[in-house]
Amino acid sequence: MAFFADLLVNGLMIGAMYALIALGFVLIYKATSVINFAQGDLVMFGGYIAAAMVSLYGLPLAVAVPVLLACMVLLGFALERGILRPLVGHSVVSVIMVTIGLAQILQGSAAMIWGAATLNMPLPIPSQPLVLGEIFVSYTNIAAAAIAAAFLVAFAYFFRLSRMGIAMRAVANDQQAAMAAGINVRLVFAISWAIAGLTAGIGGVMWGNMLGVDTNLALVGLKVFPVVILGGLDSIAGAVLGGLIVGAVESVAAGYIDPYVGGGTKDFVPYVLMILVLMVRPHGIFGRETIERV
Amino acid sequence: MIGRESGVYKTSYEADMALYPLPIARYAALASLACLALLPLALDSHAMALVNLMALAAIGAIGLNILVGYTGQVSLGHGAFMMVGSYTAAILSARYDVPFWLGIPAGGAMAAAVGAFFGIPSLRIKGLYLAIATLAAQFIIEWIINHWTWIGGGAQSTIYVPTPSFFGWQIDSESARWYMILPFAVLAYVAALNLVRTRIGRAFIAVRDRDIAAEIIGVNIFRYKLLAFAISSFYAGVAGALWTYYLKIANYEHFTLLTSIQYLAMIIIGGLGSVLGSVLGAVFITLLPIVLVYVVEGAARLAGYEYASVANFLANLRLIIFGGLIILSLAIEPEGLYRLWGNVKRYFRQWPFSY
Amino acid sequence: MRFKLWLMGVAAVAAAAIVNPAWAQAIKIGGQCDRTGPTRLIGVELCPGIADYIRLVNKKGGVSGHKLEYTEVEAGYAVDRSVEAYERLKRDGAVTTLDYGTPIVYALTPRHMSDKIPAITPGFGRADSIDGRVWPYIFPMAASYWSQAGAAMQYIKDKGGRKGTKIAYLYFDNPAGREGIPVVEAVAEKEGYQLRHFAVPSPGLEMGPQVIDITRRFKADWVVAHLFGRAPSVSIKELRKSGFPLDRVVSFVWGAGEADAKAAGWADAQGYLGMQFASVGRNLPVIQEIIKMHQDEGKAVPEYVGGVYYNRGVLIAAILAEGVRLAIQNHGLPVTGEKVRRGYEAIKNFDLQGFLPPMTVTPEDHEGGGWVKIYQVKGTEWVPVTEWFRGYREEVMGLVDRANKKH
Repeated sequence: MAFFADLLVNGLMIGAMYALIALGFVLIYKATSVINFAQGDLVMFGGYIAAAMVSLYGLPLAVAVPVLLACMVLLGFALERGILRPLVGHSVVSVIMVTIGLAQILQGSAAMIWGAATLNMPLPIPSQPLVLGEIFVSYTNIAAAAIAAAFLVAFAYFFRLSRMGIAMRAVANDQQAAMAAGINVRLVFAISWAIAGLTAGIGGVMWGNMLGVDTNLALVGLKVFPVVILGGLDSIAGAVLGGLIVGAVESVAAGYIDPYVGGGTKDFVPYVLMILVLMVRPHGIFGRETIERV
Repeated sequence: MIGRESGVYKTSYEADMALYPLPIARYAALASLACLALLPLALDSHAMALVNLMALAAIGAIGLNILVGYTGQVSLGHGAFMMVGSYTAAILSARYDVPFWLGIPAGGAMAAAVGAFFGIPSLRIKGLYLAIATLAAQFIIEWIINHWTWIGGGAQSTIYVPTPSFFGWQIDSESARWYMILPFAVLAYVAALNLVRTRIGRAFIAVRDRDIAAEIIGVNIFRYKLLAFAISSFYAGVAGALWTYYLKIANYEHFTLLTSIQYLAMIIIGGLGSVLGSVLGAVFITLLPIVLVYVVEGAARLAGYEYASVANFLANLRLIIFGGLIILSLAIEPEGLYRLWGNVKRYFRQWPFSY
Repeated sequence: MRFKLWLMGVAAVAAAAIVNPAWAQAIKIGGQCDRTGPTRLIGVELCPGIADYIRLVNKKGGVSGHKLEYTEVEAGYAVDRSVEAYERLKRDGAVTTLDYGTPIVYALTPRHMSDKIPAITPGFGRADSIDGRVWPYIFPMAASYWSQAGAAMQYIKDKGGRKGTKIAYLYFDNPAGREGIPVVEAVAEKEGYQLRHFAVPSPGLEMGPQVIDITRRFKADWVVAHLFGRAPSVSIKELRKSGFPLDRVVSFVWGAGEADAKAAGWADAQGYLGMQFASVGRNLPVIQEIIKMHQDEGKAVPEYVGGVYYNRGVLIAAILAEGVRLAIQNHGLPVTGEKVRRGYEAIKNFDLQGFLPPMTVTPEDHEGGGWVKIYQVKGTEWVPVTEWFRGYREEVMGLVDRANKKH
């Protein structure tokens, strides 16, 4: 029983971190209808910037984090302006492929600038586990989950109460109407990419601390798809719930099924779950069903 | 090619709809075929190895283009279907002594069945969702082959295949392998060209452009989507099986997600929706890392650096150029290399009266 | 008169020596070395090691007077690119190659056998190629995975392993990772250990559930880890987060570098054990010579010189050079692949001035003994905690025989 609890708790915490990445993805999709296959690579890039500042250049964390956030916001703006704007109106295939191309560019640039070694992203968090009765929890996971939760709550308030947040929701709902109401759609696009970059940066720091920063870190971005399919492509609450569910399910499944099948369950159970969801309820738990007209 | 349409006179519908209606086009096609067949006489082993790699890539790319370019279904699982074909052929040849010219179609058929199975979600979902479902297919198939030892051949997930032989002639050199690959490549090319001229091909294009409207006028889109998946996976399976016979080994690590992305890049850069474009794209992507190495190495040597210091730069430059080309070709020239080729042809067609 | 004759004789000899320089025809060798791909953490230090040693050899006059021309090709751990790379090396006349990466070794083995060009696969590759009678052209020199597994189990036994000890084998879920399983299982059965496997999918991004299983449910006493690339650092961090003592973790050779400990954070990696097949550090005559070479050229000595992976690169290059040297010595010019193969098989008591225990290669033992030494992370470096040893050699050779009977 303690084993199950261990797996569940750790899985939920990892799930919160998945939710953080998924948040950026959902933001971009909600506002601009772009499927960002490069979300994982943005996380990696953010991790690299932070790890390079702390590990290679020796800057203190208090300096590195604000610089990181500023860089990621700028990167988001730049990507939206440089790459996505020329491709407005192209087909789904094109946009998907563009983000895949972007992913390769980010990976290549990161490795070129900062070298091939895996960088350490140290955080002032003790590395021994915290023992709660029978359950071992690591401080890193707790910190990551806490930060992720804080951001999610902050964004929830942002979208509900702030002017820009409401404007973004309006654009996501109906672009034409929003334009007609006088909302600056271009600004909304830019800001949504910037915020996605920001969340990717924070994700990069947390994931980088857990897994070490190198170009493989971009692979966490692949987990985002089961999360958003489960939760609904355009729902932030869905991203949170989906993240938690995927994290918990994959952790528990891996713990129990791995010994019988020789491993690897963690990577493919979320996808099986995703296919089931796709067959039964393709738009996810909280997603909106889109009606297509001829 | 450099053809003049004047003076060509048709008397039947079949003649008009032939694949190469102009006599000069027919002669040019036959001449190219002859050149390809005689290639080993002109090239050495290393160059032939490159040509073989390009041909293998081309077969796979043509298959993917049928699915993505003609039917509009994005698939990220192409590598997995190649894997299925590869292991099928390996199992048949290593355990049951099936010769390669049976093993390859068998690999294709198995891959087609698997592909059709993973195309079933397309009944309910489309576009992005289908792309993600194929991504899941990539991971699931990889996992199954890696862990199901009857298929995977034991702990190593590697199956050795004896040297393929054609009625006693051992296929052991690069030129011999070229003659093994060439018939399949030509068949794949011609079959694809013909496919898009038939009813099925038109149905595919209808599904891509306006699937709901197509359904209304009576095209059974589910059936045609499944067919597209099956045909595309058949091509992938054939390509994968050929890989097995080329390397004499089947190993799932040859067909990862990166492979699937590479094939997508091939057809995008080459031109979505065109068979020649797939071939051009395959040639381009296969040669890109090699050409890049030569160019950068040469430049580095001129500037006085040793290979060692530019190696890191070089490897990552390849990734950046790869991604950049995808984006550029989508932004600037969505029809890819095929369009470039068409421009060149058109220039010569009208030469010297190009204005 | 006689003096003049004598003078003319000396002048003639001197003229011959000057006009006919020692740079006779260069001998081409090739190597695939990945600075990109999943193993790039290793490659960026290993490949310079090879290049530097070859440069040193050439500076000292080459191999028996012949310059060694080493071509490095990059294949990013991808099989199709490595096939192309091998064909290119072959076309350019390489007489022996370094194959890099276990799946690449499997894929290229048929070609090496039919082209009669020997390949060395130091510390990885296919362990059944130890038997050179079945695989004449593949040389897993310096501790194949099976020998490493045997040595790890020997260390556990020496540190108090007995019936009922729980051992967790943590490995990559791919052919390279699974190479260690047969030996680990055989020894566990012999000694009555409780063994369980824990697979981590490549590239080893997350291993939370596996580590939780190891530490909380299975409650392992020892962990034998066969990971490489970026995974070892993740495993170190995860094991530490779960409270598992790192001095009960023995890693195979490719998870035991400075880069791995650094990526995990030296402070967090204290006590982590790793196997080496080449000595570590700058205190070796050969490394000192290389450092001097760098200084003579006016270049700064890179930080990784003397490190774990760099030294292995030096060893690899030394083996290549030694094989060529023995080929020329025993069989004369021109050098061919077949002669180099016999050159490798003639390697006797080769230890590169203290780099490794004396290695002797025979047609039955293409591995050269399978010696390893265990090092541990202390402070910010790896320090040795054992002497050179090997473990369970009978089990390993028995498995080699059984594996090759199938062919």
